[in-house]
Amino acid sequence: MDPYLIQQIVNGLSVGMVYALIAIGFTLIFGVLNVVNFAHGEMYTIGAFAGLMLITYFGSPLFAVLLFALAAGCVAGICLERVAFKPFRRFRDEASLKSRAMREATLLSSLAVSIIIKEVLQITYGSEMQSIPQKYLLNDPIPIGPVSFSSGQFVILGASIIMLVFLQYVLYRTKIGLSIRAISNNPLGAQYVGLNVDKTIIATFALGSMLGGASGMLVGLYYGAIFPSMGFAPSVKAFVAMVMGGLASIPGAVVCAIAIGVAESIATDFVAAGWSDMIAYSFLVITLIFFPQGIFGQGRERV
Amino acid sequence: MRIRFWLLAFLAVALLFNGVPAGAKETICIGYSLPLTGEHAQYGEVFRNAAIMQLEKFNKSGKLKDTEVVIKFEDSKSDPKEAISIARKFIDDKCIVGVLGDFTSTVSMAAGQVYAKAGMPQLSQTASHPDYTKVSEYQFRNITTQAFEGPFVADWAMGKGYKSFAIIAIQNDWGISAAENFDKAVKERGGKILDIEYFNPGTRDFRAILTKVSRKKPEAIYACMMYEEGAMLLQQRKQLGIETTVFGTSSLYSPKLIELAGDAADGLLLSTTFMPNSPEPHVREFVMEYEKRYGNPPNMFAAQGYDATGIMLDALSRAGASADRKAMRDALAATKDYPGVTGVTTFDPKTREPVKSLARMEVKNGQFVLIQQK
Repeated sequence: MDPYLIQQIVNGLSVGMVYALIAIGFTLIFGVLNVVNFAHGEMYTIGAFAGLMLITYFGSPLFAVLLFALAAGCVAGICLERVAFKPFRRFRDEASLKSRAMREATLLSSLAVSIIIKEVLQITYGSEMQSIPQKYLLNDPIPIGPVSFSSGQFVILGASIIMLVFLQYVLYRTKIGLSIRAISNNPLGAQYVGLNVDKTIIATFALGSMLGGASGMLVGLYYGAIFPSMGFAPSVKAFVAMVMGGLASIPGAVVCAIAIGVAESIATDFVAAGWSDMIAYSFLVITLIFFPQGIFGQGRERV
Repeated sequence: MRIRFWLLAFLAVALLFNGVPAGAKETICIGYSLPLTGEHAQYGEVFRNAAIMQLEKFNKSGKLKDTEVVIKFEDSKSDPKEAISIARKFIDDKCIVGVLGDFTSTVSMAAGQVYAKAGMPQLSQTASHPDYTKVSEYQFRNITTQAFEGPFVADWAMGKGYKSFAIIAIQNDWGISAAENFDKAVKERGGKILDIEYFNPGTRDFRAILTKVSRKKPEAIYACMMYEEGAMLLQQRKQLGIETTVFGTSSLYSPKLIELAGDAADGLLLSTTFMPNSPEPHVREFVMEYEKRYGNPPNMFAAQGYDATGIMLDALSRAGASADRKAMRDALAATKDYPGVTGVTTFDPKTREPVKSLARMEVKNGQFVLIQQK
């Protein structure tokens, strides 16, 4: 087979996996709260910057850096929930609990938080790209036959698989996972049964943002540069992947994210690279028209 | 109540007097429209740094008696709509006699339409699209255009024996003009352009484009993009195992390129207006002072901003403290042999294009090295 085509597929897989990493945390939060978390891309960015700070000031080994990025993402997620999502749940009367306006308000509040975080990062670090010291980079070329892989691509692949497996484990084998699934199924019912909604939501955010933070660090190591607005472009594609995959299906979102990446890469061969962004958006439109429940999902009420 | 009234009246009068200090200095203002936030904020930052340096030097020198020059910075976010509203604001400000900026050709030309109608002279430090100076006789720039740079690099590359090229360019007015000028120049000299690929601003992953382009096996690649994208491109080119030589536009020249790309940047060939290692005293002074004040060595953008501010202030000192906008425009047009850190600059009397020279540079062992002309 044409080695260039294989290379394009490999390129596409690596781009798609970056989208998938973000899509995992995104879909988790959407599944539980039924609302888009616009600040998820910023959790990703915070993880990357936190890792960079650790590298710059302490020169810790890679493993410690990743753990720190996980922790930073977790903390950031909890703070985000407290600031942008919790205040809209303080009404306990039946009308408010069923109202959609609450959820729509959180759309805007998370968008506001994302802008604030981006600007604060920009003020603190300047808007230049920050580079990562060479010895941490996961960028070594690994030629296998006519195709050139990068060590970073394998790491990201491994990380996506680990994250997926870990999430499935938490969701299906632990008590908190059970609460998460219960609330995503029927929030009002879960409350009536006595589940602690607040605690579960905090746990969801912590989990989702943790994964987001780790992905940010990994992608930063792969590309060798991080900058304050790095979360925006991939999170838009992750959102498309989520809608395509059926809104609450995490494996579905991952598969669709990879599909988007590969499609973009192969499309570059046929149309000018400038049009490749359109691929993701045309997928979105096609999904909305022909597969309103997503390709893998059950019907979900959408904001 | 009465005491309060008199107290307030006293305060009001005192404030009025504050506006007229003894030995009053006149103020003249220059407007500076630049991207301080948004995607191009890092360029706006260095323009502002350089402008402040140049301004302090000028005010201290006392070239304009009893007058203090103030620069009013406004954030255009590299957005044409913002730049147009900033233009209107500057035009309404009676103190402002000249405007510096903007960063990209697209934004400069958009705002230029407004400045042209109002008769406000505009000097851009980096807009290099050939059509910018055609907007009106009030537009100036101190950077060589792509119509000049394209043939320069084409001569160089073909002189080295490369005959077929692929161009990878950013999809905006500047990138398109850079690609088209190089394309034309190469074809005029008998070379071949195998592919022109445009990518959207904000793209960070060039693997797909690099793979597509290398399929056609060009002898060299011409990269028309900013240094961050350039760094990503070079890094990914190395990771894909592509060995094709890369030529670049002068916008790739920045210490940040080496920092981001590491040893993947070795072997890059590019043209430039600014040589920080130049032995000339005013360049050395600029580089040392910039580094002392701001911690980083200046890049080509800082140098362009420094010279643009310098040229504007020089024109102001020639036009005099009581100059109006028309007089400023005429003084700018008469700029001849201004000794800038990006070379001696003269504005052509007919086209207002700057007459400057370009130099060739190569990245060797993580350093930008000047290639001596033989």
